[in-house]
Amino acid sequence: MTRFRKLGQMPIWLTVPAFGILLIVFGIPILRLLLTSLNAPALSVANYHAFFGQAANIRLLVQTVEISVVATAICVIIGYPTAYLIVAASKRLRMVLLVLVLIPYLTSLLARTYAWIVILGDNGLVNKLLLDIGLISSPLQLLYNRFSVYVGMVHVMLPLMILPLVSVMLGIDKSLMAAARSMGARPFAAFWRVFFPLSLPGVRSGVLLVFILCLGFYITPAALGGLGDAMLSTFIAAQVKSTFNIKLIATSAFVLLAIAGILLFMLGLDLSSRHHRAAKKERTSWQRRVPSFGTLARYLNELAAPYRAKRWTAELFQARDEIYLTKQIGAAFVVLVMSFLLFPGAIVMIMSFSAGAYLEFPPSGFSLQWYRSFFGDASWTGAAWTSIQIGIAVTILSTIVGTLAALGLSRTSPGLRSVLTMAILTPITIPLIVVGIAVFLALVNLGLIGSKSGIVLAHSIGAIGYVVVIVSATLANFDRRLEQAAKSMRAGPVPTFRRVTLPLILPGILGGAVFAFIHSFDEVVITSLVSGFSIRTLPLKMWENIRHAIDPTIAAVSSLLMLLPVLWIIAIYFMWWRARPKHVPTAATADIG
Amino acid sequence: MLVKIPLPAPLAEGETLEERLTSAEIEFRNVTKRYGEVAAVKDFSLTVRRGEFLTILGPSGSGKTTALMLLAGFASPSEGEILIAGKSVAAVPSYRRDQGIVFQNYALFPHLTVSRNLEFPLEMRGVKAHERSKRVERMLERVHLSDFRQRMPSQLSGGQQQRVALARALIADPPILLLDEPLGALDRNLREQMQGEIKSLHKEFGKTTICVTHDQEEALTLSDRIVVMRDGRIEQTDTPEALYDRPATRFVANFLGEANILDDADFKVESDNELPAGTVAMIRPERICIADQAARMRADAQQRQAVTGTVVDMIYAGPLRKYHVRVGSGVLITRQHVGSGQKIFQPGDEVRLEWLRSDLRFVRA
Repeated sequence: MTRFRKLGQMPIWLTVPAFGILLIVFGIPILRLLLTSLNAPALSVANYHAFFGQAANIRLLVQTVEISVVATAICVIIGYPTAYLIVAASKRLRMVLLVLVLIPYLTSLLARTYAWIVILGDNGLVNKLLLDIGLISSPLQLLYNRFSVYVGMVHVMLPLMILPLVSVMLGIDKSLMAAARSMGARPFAAFWRVFFPLSLPGVRSGVLLVFILCLGFYITPAALGGLGDAMLSTFIAAQVKSTFNIKLIATSAFVLLAIAGILLFMLGLDLSSRHHRAAKKERTSWQRRVPSFGTLARYLNELAAPYRAKRWTAELFQARDEIYLTKQIGAAFVVLVMSFLLFPGAIVMIMSFSAGAYLEFPPSGFSLQWYRSFFGDASWTGAAWTSIQIGIAVTILSTIVGTLAALGLSRTSPGLRSVLTMAILTPITIPLIVVGIAVFLALVNLGLIGSKSGIVLAHSIGAIGYVVVIVSATLANFDRRLEQAAKSMRAGPVPTFRRVTLPLILPGILGGAVFAFIHSFDEVVITSLVSGFSIRTLPLKMWENIRHAIDPTIAAVSSLLMLLPVLWIIAIYFMWWRARPKHVPTAATADIG
Repeated sequence: MLVKIPLPAPLAEGETLEERLTSAEIEFRNVTKRYGEVAAVKDFSLTVRRGEFLTILGPSGSGKTTALMLLAGFASPSEGEILIAGKSVAAVPSYRRDQGIVFQNYALFPHLTVSRNLEFPLEMRGVKAHERSKRVERMLERVHLSDFRQRMPSQLSGGQQQRVALARALIADPPILLLDEPLGALDRNLREQMQGEIKSLHKEFGKTTICVTHDQEEALTLSDRIVVMRDGRIEQTDTPEALYDRPATRFVANFLGEANILDDADFKVESDNELPAGTVAMIRPERICIADQAARMRADAQQRQAVTGTVVDMIYAGPLRKYHVRVGSGVLITRQHVGSGQKIFQPGDEVRLEWLRSDLRFVRA
């Protein structure tokens, strides 16, 4: 009995199922991949030599990095001000804006990519509009070039940049800015010296997230780019499907991983503190060199004080117009960004009701023909059903395993916790195509290629990561003393968990489950590698459709998929916001009495 | 009203009533708790009698909460043992220890109503539903919260939450009650009110109570005995009055109330006998009279000592005035009751400070 209790007290056991799955489906194969790339057992860098010896490979690599860097940079440039304006907005407006950012984030990637094909194509909305008003005489080449790749990638990645930025910015104490202003800092100085350095961690995680996703996510560039816009990940995926040169695949995968590693290393160090240290050092050496300059500056500063005071007073009364203008510009900017994020979805939805034989905007008439064609076609409904089945299985497996792991992690020492958490999160923090290759190898060994259980395992390693992140966040806010309180009232470990811990972390668990389902339901990169020929999930079917023939049915599918995030948001709302204590009507009357 | 008194267990063979009433309920035997290199509690030995209200008092980081957590079973001692009712509890997990605990921030279950919170300990002990609701009703009435039974903890004020926490700790009738900084989260007025509430609950239920606090006033008001802790060790254990009047060490003298330490650095202490090695003289501010320099010494001059000095500061604090008086190179603090008709001094005034020789105390430095 006591031994059993001791064993139960070792929280690390709770992470065993998660690490078991992770190791078998991802950890061991990726090590084997590394060894293969190093020509094991001979161990040489011959493969890398061969890889870099080919000019075509280097071109591909440079192109991959270039596209990823540019897309990330655009995301920062658009995302930072957007996040700032969202945080600065009133509480209610902020909620609305966040939901507007979340909707595209939760929408099927393929549906969004498809939307851009429709909008930017030769007969697409933009060209048609420009032709109609006579600005151009023949359609512009907007699709299948670098421009469309960037538009599509930024559209996919922007929410991933904005969300971490917002979460960090919300944590910055507003009184710090007020304090800076009270010390005479002008608005920009206050922003630059106080707010910006504090927001750098958000920039860092946003950049990491977006850049690494760009490296490994080849769907959007492959769908929207031309032949000249191929990325290394596209090349790897093609290799798996065609020649299957394992050495070349392994080598390219680790080259991609190395690029991600370099960025992680560069940004992994704490940017803000390094920045501070450098600045301090600079100032001391600078002061030593010109010792009198400081005194002079102080003297001048003192002379200027009355003028400055006068200017401040003037500004106090004058600033209204300026502030008004800034606000207008900010509002316009946010509206622009939000339309960019939401517009494509809306267009596809409207077009899906078109009555013509092909997609057009505005639709010539209203018809449900494409929806009928979706529900009437067994290959579409079959794919949807497969996706739902797999999604549910993934959700159940990863929610249980991930929650156990999060509970175990929350009880280990902080040092061990961060190492283990990082390990669990690898499948969602390294380039997707690399994960895909590793999972592919694992499932080949297990004989699970082309089976539903294989796909469930493949999806679960990522989904577990999402569950762990969300449940851990909930547990961080969970007061461990409540468990102690329960124990002091004679509740054993099991009743304590069932009656106290579980109900209080349930919103986090359900939130994790939603994200696990979304992850599985939308996953296409790994699935396309491991599905073999027998299984067609909905994203796979859509992907095929986008690549080969544009069957307008996909518009109907996309619109249906765009309704899902609304459902998700309602579900998450009910789980998280409603989980807060309800106000009992009798309480108010009791107050008066 | 009919008062139901739970019958005590029959006396064991050879046990006398006297023994039963004064026997040790809780005993710490040379308990040490280390976290890595740091010892939070060092060689802690303490006996708590049945029905006693004992307070562990100390600054933050002195190990007082650790001692409580060891007793509650949320941590286990690195050395030594803890006995409850004469039996070692080393192998008893926290959920079998039968203690009621009021946590620092109450730890009320946020997802359960007030009455469900109170029911929890009864449910865990397998009490039947109708019996549970009866006992919850009775307890709610006792703490004047009957109107709030359907509220969630977040809808209660601080004082109400505190009363729910107390009720929840007491409802299952555990023999031992542990209070961890029970009034720390309340404002001053409420704190005084709740002190009274805790005192009356203790009188009524007679639980052996251990309270941990850093608030000296709370400790003095509530306790039968106080344990003063410093750096994981017990500094002194005594009744509130003895502790205040005869502190053993300079630390206790300073921590419990204000103290004028008359050490050689600032004051030339003349004594009839040599001071015992390692001790200094101490006097409480309220034992020092402040008077005009010209005033004559009272008749019983034999028993008195006097010094002269200059007022450097006068602080008005409601019922009393506090003077800081420079004497030689040191400063003595004294108090004067407002409305006692005595002369009021201002900074710069030359004054004479007088005290009874018998009011001097000698404490370990």
